[in-house]
Amino acid sequence: MEPGLSIESGSAIRVAVLPVGGPIPPQCLRDYAALVAQHARVDLASLRPYYSEHQKSPFSHQPWDTGCLRLKFVLGGCVPSPWEDFQSSRKVLAVVGICHLPSSPDLGKVAADFVDAARTYPSALASRCFAFCPTDAQLAEKKSDGIIMFPPSDQKSLELHMLTMIQDLAASLLMEFEKWVLRAESTGTILKTPLDSQSSLGSEEVIKAKKRRLGRAQKIIGDYCLLAGSPADANAHYTTAIDLARLTGDVFWHAGALEGIVCALVVDRMGQSDPVLEDEVKYRYYTIIQLYRRATLQDNAQRVSPVSFELEAALKLARHLCRRELAKEVSDLLMGAADGAKALIDASDRLILYIEIARLFGSLGYKRKAAFFSRQVAQLYLQQDNAYAAMSAMQVLTMTTNAYHVQSRKTSKSDHASPKELGASNSNADSGKVHPQSVVSLFESRWSTLQMVVLREILMSSIRAADPLTSWSAAARLLRSFYPLITPAGQSGLASSLANSADRLPWGTRCADPCLPFIRLHSLPLHPSQRDIVKRNPHKKEWWIGAGPSGPFIYTPFTKGGTSGTSKQEINWIVGEPVQVMVELANPCSFDLVVESIYLSVHSGNFDAFPVSVNLPPNTSKLVLLSGIPTRVGQVSIPGCIVHSFGVITEHLFKEVDCLLLGATQGLVLSDPFRCCGSSKFKSVNFPSISVVPPLPLLVANVVGGDGSILLYEGEIRDVLITLTNAGTVPVEEANIALSGKNQDSVISIAHSTWKSALPIKPGGEVTFKVTLRAWHLSLTDLEADVGRSPTNSRRTQREGINPFLNIHYAGPANQGNGEVSLPPGRRLVVPLNICVVQGMRLVRARLLSMEIPARFSEAHLRPVSDKDNMSNGSDMVHNDISLLKIDPYKGSWGLRLLELELFNPTDVVFDVDVSVHLDGTNGEQTLNVTADAACHKTRIDRDYSARVLIPLENFKLPVLDASFFVKENGSDEPLGSKAATIAEKNAKAELNASINNLISKIKVRWHSGRNSSGELNIKDAIQAALQASIMDILLPDPLTFSFRLAKDGTMAKTVSASANDFSHSTNENACPSTGESVLRCKDPISAHEMTHMEVQIRNNTKEIIRMNLSISCKDVAGENCFDENSATVLWAGVLSDIQVEVPPLQELVHPFSVYFLVPGDYSLQASSVIIDATDVLRARAKAESPDEPILCRGSPFHIHVVGTA
Amino acid sequence: MASTACFVIVSKNDIPIYDAEVGSAPKKEDQAYQHQFILHAALDVVQDLAWTTNAMSLKSVDRFNELVVSVYVTAGHTRFMLLHDTRTEDGIKSFFQEVHELYIKIFLNPLYLPGSRITSSHFDTKVRALARKYL
Repeated sequence: MEPGLSIESGSAIRVAVLPVGGPIPPQCLRDYAALVAQHARVDLASLRPYYSEHQKSPFSHQPWDTGCLRLKFVLGGCVPSPWEDFQSSRKVLAVVGICHLPSSPDLGKVAADFVDAARTYPSALASRCFAFCPTDAQLAEKKSDGIIMFPPSDQKSLELHMLTMIQDLAASLLMEFEKWVLRAESTGTILKTPLDSQSSLGSEEVIKAKKRRLGRAQKIIGDYCLLAGSPADANAHYTTAIDLARLTGDVFWHAGALEGIVCALVVDRMGQSDPVLEDEVKYRYYTIIQLYRRATLQDNAQRVSPVSFELEAALKLARHLCRRELAKEVSDLLMGAADGAKALIDASDRLILYIEIARLFGSLGYKRKAAFFSRQVAQLYLQQDNAYAAMSAMQVLTMTTNAYHVQSRKTSKSDHASPKELGASNSNADSGKVHPQSVVSLFESRWSTLQMVVLREILMSSIRAADPLTSWSAAARLLRSFYPLITPAGQSGLASSLANSADRLPWGTRCADPCLPFIRLHSLPLHPSQRDIVKRNPHKKEWWIGAGPSGPFIYTPFTKGGTSGTSKQEINWIVGEPVQVMVELANPCSFDLVVESIYLSVHSGNFDAFPVSVNLPPNTSKLVLLSGIPTRVGQVSIPGCIVHSFGVITEHLFKEVDCLLLGATQGLVLSDPFRCCGSSKFKSVNFPSISVVPPLPLLVANVVGGDGSILLYEGEIRDVLITLTNAGTVPVEEANIALSGKNQDSVISIAHSTWKSALPIKPGGEVTFKVTLRAWHLSLTDLEADVGRSPTNSRRTQREGINPFLNIHYAGPANQGNGEVSLPPGRRLVVPLNICVVQGMRLVRARLLSMEIPARFSEAHLRPVSDKDNMSNGSDMVHNDISLLKIDPYKGSWGLRLLELELFNPTDVVFDVDVSVHLDGTNGEQTLNVTADAACHKTRIDRDYSARVLIPLENFKLPVLDASFFVKENGSDEPLGSKAATIAEKNAKAELNASINNLISKIKVRWHSGRNSSGELNIKDAIQAALQASIMDILLPDPLTFSFRLAKDGTMAKTVSASANDFSHSTNENACPSTGESVLRCKDPISAHEMTHMEVQIRNNTKEIIRMNLSISCKDVAGENCFDENSATVLWAGVLSDIQVEVPPLQELVHPFSVYFLVPGDYSLQASSVIIDATDVLRARAKAESPDEPILCRGSPFHIHVVGTA
Repeated sequence: MASTACFVIVSKNDIPIYDAEVGSAPKKEDQAYQHQFILHAALDVVQDLAWTTNAMSLKSVDRFNELVVSVYVTAGHTRFMLLHDTRTEDGIKSFFQEVHELYIKIFLNPLYLPGSRITSSHFDTKVRALARKYL
């Protein structure tokens, strides 16, 4: 059988094209052959110049104007067929030699070569030898031996030259045909086919042969007429031949003549599609097929079967009819032909048959049929045991891959780029949800069994054909697509064949088909700097306001709804700043997979990807962070990863794996590679649209002293230095620092001026600014949690989300390009102030002591810090050394209250505690500003010890005792109905409260620990609680103030005016020692046995007149009353008891008296008075229970030191 | 019973959703492939033929060597393809019809995604029983 036959092929003159002389480079040979083969059709009209009619042409009806000669060039020649007598078109009628002169310098040798080559084709009627690219020397040689030189020139003239030569060849062929036909007509020839030669030449046979000879000769003449381009002549001869053959029963030749007549018919009407003609052709050909079959049956006994002619006829008809409308008829013909394959003895015949069938099915559009027969072809090739056959098999199989949907991605690139698919994938991505039916369509025509077989055969054939790239690709496709169907041993085998193929490939070979691992996009972990790109509003100066989440909540209802929706799909990368993409790799196979390098594949070309290498053990998956740096502004598309494994570089697309996983979820694919590796559930991640924006400034914050937590004791105040460095390439031109998060009040101050003065921060520049922190107080729950923990870290606990943040918004300069100013986005840097508050000094309790405990205070202790205190003057200092009792030996101290703070140090460091009461000098109303301040005396509290700190409280009294302070107590008693009164009451109340707070805020307990820890105890609440009970006593002045002074020699001695009064109602005198103020004493000693003139000053602190019954008492150290009638120690002059006096409001009254001390020693004078007709205010102040109670008011004792005269 | 028979259900999308070797001849691996190859190739013919007739049963549409492909096309264009070597037209027709009923039952299962593989073992058993009965 011969390939490529068609009905018209009976009219083609076969020309063998043979390379002669020295070796011809393949490219040159291809070029020369193409040059020759261009002229497959030579018009008869163009032959005229070369044609000379020697005798009368037998082709009487030759169409010189329209006809043509058809040449069929066979490169390399062909084996002479035994059937060439039967069909003249099978004969090689001309030989053309091709010679590449540069490689064969000796022209004589070339000529000899050509003659030798031409000799193998005895049927050749003409021969030419074309020599290309001659050297000058060769051109100069005489043009002998029939070698036609083609001097080097441009392509066009070369073609023209060749055309001339071919026309010459055709003309000489035509003349030869004429000669041959004339001779055949006159003498006749013996025409034999292999069918005839086999038969024994019995007499009967000889007679039969003689009868048949004429018919056969007519048929051959017809063939030559056809070759000579004269279908009309051919038709006449064929008709004769048919008649003769029918008469002689020469079935085989009858069929041949019929074929010839159809050919003549078709050639004659070439280019016209005529249904009548088609029916004719069809009818004739069915007859032909029948005849051939009959011939086959007749000669069945013989060794040589003409069955191939029957098949060829069927193929010719099929090719003629091969159109979509006639698909059924053609496929029937082809199936019939395929059935005939069994009858073919020669394997190469079968090969050709299958090839032809496959080709015809392919041109019919029956891809799967074509693939099926191609595979049959490949199997026949594989039966031959040589590399060329294997290569052919491989190539044929590769052609089938499209039909079986296992094509290499290299060949299906165009499919991927088809707009339809892109649109589909986009719409899928948009909706985010894929309809199951469309999922199904993704896996169309998946015949996994067949696909595996085909791939395996490709692999086998490519190994045999020594094509490592193809075998790598086939093994990769096989492994990737069908690993669940392959046994572990098979998988390892494929892995090793991959490795073997890679060994033969040059390093760095790329293959279009990915192998393992499976790679899917896991997530795009945002670098903090990426997250913090803030769009700037050009119309808003302070663009940062409301730009970021300001509270502790993830969702804030105040952010704009529109922005959050779109930002999900869009990511901005910044030129020059590294980014990361997390991908998941899976190796579902049973061998160790070594990925030599993997990096992101970027088609947009503006991204530098960094490779990493991964080792995947069997059946595992791994998350890998791939990073890179965007290099240019624009869109970035990352369709997948470039993987270098098994020695070959491949590109793995995310989209493909997504499709695969989608199929796996629907049960359309055998297995999900990620799930079988124990990875988590499938979640589809769409690659967001990423755009690269121009470089922005990048601030990096650094807390000086380490980025760890700042360990602070409760209440500690510390300065933290924060360094901002611009790590970007653009200067920071504006910035804003704000606080957010919890515990914002723990940041006392931020040195805004420092960083503001550093703006703009140039690339690489840095600024350090100070933030003052104060540790907050741990709540009770914190403390309890601490207790429960192990002792080692119990105090170092830190909870998430309780820290304040510094929100730093900053931006670079505006772009000035193109005449318009565009604002690049700003950025936000969040600096968490990791404050770890540990338990520090603890205030166990605060209480106001009622001076049951004896305490001594020296003057030093009581020295006021404030110089404004008008009470202190130089004379004070004289008595510094005198330690005075402030204690009433009987009833505790006078005028002094102590606030006791009990502190406990649970930490493992030592604390020093300072207690100070800050005086408020501006408060002029406070007449008696005596404070205790022990600034120089620190109390050191060792670890796990507690200590008590006493705070003396003195003279925080208000100047006037007013009724309004008691409104609450008296509200029920007094009929105060008027509104004005109520308002006044309220004001007074507020004033009282304010003064309480004022007092409390003045008391500060500071502590130090170590070198740089210092802070303040928060004791406000505790003190308030402690003071609340006796606040009245502390703050309110006594209604009456008594003071003594000497009136000696007419000059006033220094008098300590003191107002310390003990003021209580008589029944409850002892129980309630009044608030003490200062110790009263006479500065100068008084001599005994002298008359001492004294006076007592009584001041009314209320707004009403107070009438009273005043009496003065004197006691010695033993507490004996010295003014007793019976006592002889003190003599006196003047009234000392039952003095009826009346003091006007806010005024003073002086009552003089004289005393005469007989015995030196210490004495104390005390004034007391019973108030007559006490008002409600006084009663309330004295906390009288019943209105009848006498109200007693008592001053502080006045100390007198009496010295003897001796 | 036919010595060689290979039954495949091909979905609308040309995916084989069920395949079974139902012949009595001992199984050979490469032959099973060969059967599927033939059936796959026959799809081309079926694709044209299905639109030329009203009948669901297309009888034998293709052949390769001694093996014949008979096809039954459902209304949803799911194709039942049987590769066999004996010609018992009636048996094949009954076989197809009964398998169609089974297939409809599968199809009615709300958990079955049309076009995906039929994995029901019950279906498999039934089909093989039908093959024994009719082929």
